[in-house]
Amino acid sequence: MFLTRSEYDRGVNTFSPEGRLFQVEYAMEAIKLGSTTVGITTPEGVILAVEKRVPSPLLESSSIEKIMEIDSHIGTAMSGLTADARTMVEHARVTSQMHNFTYDEKIGVESCTQAVCDLALRFGESVEDDDALMSRPFGVALLIAGIDEKGPQLYHTDPSGTFVRYDAKAIGSGSDAAQQSLQDAFHKQMTLMEAHSLALKVLKQVMEEKLDENNVQLAQVTKSKGFEILGENELKAVIETLAA
Amino acid sequence: MALYHNAPMAHSQEPTAAPIEHRFNPYSDNGGSILAISGKDFSVIAGDTRQSEGYNIQTRYARKVWQLTDKAVLATNGFAADGNNFVKRVKQRLEWYEHAHHKPMGLKSIARMIQTMLYGKRFFPYYVYNILGGIEEDGSGAVYSFDPVGSYEREACRAAGAAQSLIQPFLDNQIYFKNQQPEPGSQPFIPGNLPLATVLSLVVDSFTSATERHIEVGDGMEIYIVMNKGRTTDDLLGEGKLQKGMQIEELGALGEGSGERTFLVRQALKRD
Repeated sequence: MFLTRSEYDRGVNTFSPEGRLFQVEYAMEAIKLGSTTVGITTPEGVILAVEKRVPSPLLESSSIEKIMEIDSHIGTAMSGLTADARTMVEHARVTSQMHNFTYDEKIGVESCTQAVCDLALRFGESVEDDDALMSRPFGVALLIAGIDEKGPQLYHTDPSGTFVRYDAKAIGSGSDAAQQSLQDAFHKQMTLMEAHSLALKVLKQVMEEKLDENNVQLAQVTKSKGFEILGENELKAVIETLAA
Repeated sequence: MALYHNAPMAHSQEPTAAPIEHRFNPYSDNGGSILAISGKDFSVIAGDTRQSEGYNIQTRYARKVWQLTDKAVLATNGFAADGNNFVKRVKQRLEWYEHAHHKPMGLKSIARMIQTMLYGKRFFPYYVYNILGGIEEDGSGAVYSFDPVGSYEREACRAAGAAQSLIQPFLDNQIYFKNQQPEPGSQPFIPGNLPLATVLSLVVDSFTSATERHIEVGDGMEIYIVMNKGRTTDDLLGEGKLQKGMQIEELGALGEGSGERTFLVRQALKRD
């Protein structure tokens, strides 16, 4: 299968005769290897949940960081090559701060997402030797959650630089099953607590290990408190509601 | 002999040619004055239309006040070329912002952006004093004033330009109630709450007085009135509401329009 593509799957900015960019498509494949990540929008706010793969009992699970703050009102969860996400989150943070500095207001969630996607397609051979360009597409997808004057919003970005808004979205290795579960259980009037337990329920279904407070991470963005990653005790409380 | 050799007078008889410095001066002062006063749910931004250089009047009608959005009006004063160009750039930035963020820029955002634009030319400034007036996000009337390099603040009123020193003390007294005492037992004065009719007559008096005492002020006056959505226009429109010689027109909404209304009142000033 891969042998037939030998001519066009090397150059990162060369279209194949069928009109495809193979390196971008391969980058999308990298996401399917990543851990499952879930986002759900509710009228109260948006929640993000990620599975943390802990391959060894000697690994300090708190050192795995898959949910990050972009601004006080925007957060992101990632799946794929998480190291690539650092560049994107850095760009999003700088853009948010620049917006706040220039316009004395918080950046919109969509504008912030757009800024990240502008970066996503800036790869290839640098034409002039302007500051080192990314040599390949980013191998990571993001769920960007935030609240602005338009209310709670959730966006999904992928390596092609496309972004789409969702009520609920799952990405990563278990995304097919997880997305189906979300579609079955999601409703527009969900409370924040319901969203928390739905997210964990969905993760539980697709995770190989038994879900506990060490191998998942939960975060939320609310109008009153903005972005926050749930602490160990809050996380335990949500997990307890699952068991019951 | 040696004693007189270095006497101070020794060289003074020789003709000396002092070096004449030829230096490019990119700036000019085109006179005129602007002012803005905010009310509870409206804002008034005004300027005269004379443009002069030294003792010469270049034109009796040059615009100094500009409608930027449905809720923002900008007045510029100082070097007219810089002012016109600055307004052009601000309008361009407003358009870019609307493309990027799918909404018109709010008043406080325009104020902050003007600061960054002015400070961006900190070492070759726009020689312009700006006053921004309009309606804030919460529906209140607002005035922001700027210095040429971007220092800004929100105020109830501000005058700038050639006749600033004549008009500002008058506004301090009439708007901020400086050197006035409330009658014993009555409510304390609250600046920024005057009715529109009072504000308009203060604006007219400011400019007619400045025209009398300042040679660079006169010819005509343009008063922009921005009203919050839903506000009554009874105190502005209709017979006898405006002083005689005043012409009023409503400026249509820019873009979609969100209910705020902008009116332009013109009046002649003395031409001498």
